[in-house]
Amino acid sequence: MIEAKNVNVSIGRKLILQELNFSAAPGEVTAIVGPNGSGKSTLVKALSGDLPYQGRIVYNGHELGGLKPTEAAALRAVLPQTATLSFPYTVREVVRLGLLGGHSGAPAGQDEHLPERALARVDLGGFAGRFYQELSGGEQQRVQLARVLCQVWEPVLNGSPRYLLLDEPVSSLDIKHQLLVMRVARDFAERGGGVVAVMHDLNLTAAFADKAVVMQRGRNVASGKPGEVMRDELLSDVFECGLKVGTLPSADMPFLLPQTAVF
Amino acid sequence: MPAHMILLSRVHAAPEGDRSARARLILGLLAFMLVIVACFSIATGASDASALGVMDGWFRRSPETALSTRDRLVIYEIRLPRIVLGTLVGAALAVSGALMQGLFRNPLADPGIVGVSAGAGLGAITVIVLGNTLLGPVVAIFGFYALPLAAFVGGLVTTLVLYRVATRGGQTSIATMLLAGIALAALSGALSGILIYLADDRQLRDLTFWGLGSLGGATWTKILAAGPIIAVALAITPFLARGLDALSLGETSARHLGVPVQRLKAAAIVSVAAATGAAVAVSGGIGFVGIVVPHLLRLVIGPDHRYLLPGSALLGASLLLLADAVSRTIVAPAELPIGIVTAVFGAPFFLWVLLRRRGLLDL
Repeated sequence: MIEAKNVNVSIGRKLILQELNFSAAPGEVTAIVGPNGSGKSTLVKALSGDLPYQGRIVYNGHELGGLKPTEAAALRAVLPQTATLSFPYTVREVVRLGLLGGHSGAPAGQDEHLPERALARVDLGGFAGRFYQELSGGEQQRVQLARVLCQVWEPVLNGSPRYLLLDEPVSSLDIKHQLLVMRVARDFAERGGGVVAVMHDLNLTAAFADKAVVMQRGRNVASGKPGEVMRDELLSDVFECGLKVGTLPSADMPFLLPQTAVF
Repeated sequence: MPAHMILLSRVHAAPEGDRSARARLILGLLAFMLVIVACFSIATGASDASALGVMDGWFRRSPETALSTRDRLVIYEIRLPRIVLGTLVGAALAVSGALMQGLFRNPLADPGIVGVSAGAGLGAITVIVLGNTLLGPVVAIFGFYALPLAAFVGGLVTTLVLYRVATRGGQTSIATMLLAGIALAALSGALSGILIYLADDRQLRDLTFWGLGSLGGATWTKILAAGPIIAVALAITPFLARGLDALSLGETSARHLGVPVQRLKAAAIVSVAAATGAAVAVSGGIGFVGIVVPHLLRLVIGPDHRYLLPGSALLGASLLLLADAVSRTIVAPAELPIGIVTAVFGAPFFLWVLLRRRGLLDL
């Protein structure tokens, strides 16, 4: 379980997160949604340990601030929005960096094969020998996901769940790979790990998330099942434009047509 | 199957994108090359002393003639110290370059180019000029370690200032780094100039030869002074290798992978300053080794620091011994300062690197 209690984060003089409460359970995909500048990425950075914060952030009962870098790396892996490399590493060499902490959880001797398996998982089989810097943005993003998967290959290690923190994991992907990456996240959760993802796409959120956390001006204004929080009034208020949520007649899954927006 | 075939077949069997088998093979070849170059160096020189003759006499314990005594002196007191010092200095300069490039996430960083060598030089000049007067007590305490230690302090201060100026939030601006390096080198140069103005004639002569960069004055004492410092700095580097690889993803991602980034950076900065300082103290300004060697290696084995760092040490040592051989023979029986030789080859190489990266360089 990841729990954040009364978390305040300031950048410069500006308070970005205010008295924020948040939790993400193992076995679930938790999506963080909200308009630009509402503090979604800041929340993920605070959960990653990148920003100083007031309040408490607890991973499986351990206070984040008290964890050494290696201990934190065994508990959670973080997918950045973009990553540029300063030297010409091959795709395999980049993915292999995920094994650096030595807590992949794979059986002894299997670590050497993880880069290929992780690359196949993100539909980049055969890319191992390519140079990272020569790939497209979407391919680079999936290479980074493969690296992150290697770091926490087994979602549960020694009986305690581990977490994937994904900052806009589908932002530069085509629709096939958007769906693929969301399936990878779901699979990680179904095998006992926890996933926290910053999402802009409300339809993918509705389709893949167990829980949606809606943020507005640095606060958590609603959280619950996507079907519960994706309501006309709430979304219209948060995103500052009139929106109408629809529901598929067959499955009880809400969807949203951007065409319904009213300005 | 002969041994080299087995090695080669293992190279081909490596997974795609995995260059570690090839890198290990290249490391073996580089070690072999260093041995060959060292043997060649010990066998050649202005005197016709025969290394084989000396070794022969040593093994057979034959009675010493006057000639073999002179040969022994040439080999043991002139050529051998020079080769040991060249190996140490070449390894130190090349590894400093590779470390600094990893630390700054920037293939153009080099202690010589960004002013660290100039800072180390200022430290060394201070001790040379003021060692008999103002700094007498310090020199009395540290003995012959005073010179490399002063150079280390000078290099450390320069590296720290450079890092503070050029890096913000873990991102180094190439332009700021190079410009700050120019300013720091100019400042060190100016302060060194003031000290040179104070120097007496004998010190001036020492300084001039030292400043051009030379292995000419190699003695066992110098090796004792610089060797341990360089050895410690080089011994630390294997522990920094994986951290530097992670750092190429950026500081934040490196920390997410479990790398203690602040400790890594501190260790890298101290190692660079120590290795550069000790090298500059005993051999003066030998430039471009730190940029040429890691760059060549990255082309062949890739940027993986587990292989790049030891490879840089081996190739740096070999290239410096070769440059020294050129400097000793090209105007024989006189000799050219080795710093001139490395600059003649290194500066055009640096320009070529810049040309290749033009467009990538966000100046």
